[in-house]
Amino acid sequence: MTSNKSESPAPISCTEFQEQLPDLFAAGSHGLPEDPALVEHLKTCEQCSALVRDLQYIADQASLLLQPTHEPSDNVWKKIQAGIDADRNQK
Amino acid sequence: MEPQGLQMNQTKPGPSLFKRNPPIAGEAEAIERAQNGDAEAFSRLYALHKRRVYTLCLRMLGNVSEAEDMTQEAFLHLFRKIGSFRGESAFSTWLHRLTVNLVLMHLRKKGLNLVSLEETINPSEDDAPRRDFGSRDPQLTGSVDRVALERAVASLPPGYRMVFILHDVEGFEHNEIATMLECSTGNSKSQLHKARLKLRELLRHPEQSVQPAGLKESAQ
Repeated sequence: MTSNKSESPAPISCTEFQEQLPDLFAAGSHGLPEDPALVEHLKTCEQCSALVRDLQYIADQASLLLQPTHEPSDNVWKKIQAGIDADRNQK
Repeated sequence: MEPQGLQMNQTKPGPSLFKRNPPIAGEAEAIERAQNGDAEAFSRLYALHKRRVYTLCLRMLGNVSEAEDMTQEAFLHLFRKIGSFRGESAFSTWLHRLTVNLVLMHLRKKGLNLVSLEETINPSEDDAPRRDFGSRDPQLTGSVDRVALERAVASLPPGYRMVFILHDVEGFEHNEIATMLECSTGNSKSQLHKARLKLRELLRHPEQSVQPAGLKESAQ
């Protein structure tokens, strides 16, 4: 019996697909798989496809938080200066 | 005494860290002068980095008072250690690593055991992200702004929030996070994935998000 190379991969469930997602994202593939079974599932499953798209969008949007949005009070610098002065006086 | 877990070694960061932390005009000169004891130059470094360091502390701790204390600690530590900065990584990367380690040490002192994220700060069933089966909610793409994301991140359980901030915001790699949090790389990947799943839920249902600490008084 010969194997048929054009045969579709065995279908996998959403659970099986989603279990692979942490590693797929960590591998830098933006959640996009190379494994034929995963590729096939992603092509045919609307829910998992939307999930991958949303998770990648969230990861991309995280850069919005790089810009600092908060300012420490002036008191913080005063305390740092006091700490520096104390350090210098100890020397 | 060097604080436990505080790593001042300058491992080479990935390209993303340089991309995220490009050199700041006048910073290199201020670093050199500060290393030679110039107080004015150190004050310049504080002015350049105080907002990002404070924002990082605030996001990790969720508490204005503690965030200010840790900002103070981070810059005092910087003052004492700046002579050991050799420019092998971006200064801000180095400073943020120092800050993260101080915050983590603070959390450990408070009794928050970060050794095993799964066992100690894994969220309850109610807080954990749900599996995505049969949902008909609209996709998020294009719909999320900074304020909404800030609120959602503040609503994450501590373990999820920590890993999301370190990886997706600050740009640390999983192996670096695993070292900082004293957990496995797999654990870091898993926590990040769960964090993003939970964020997806929170962003789709913003009424579940909380008001982040400090946002009201200083949001821009």
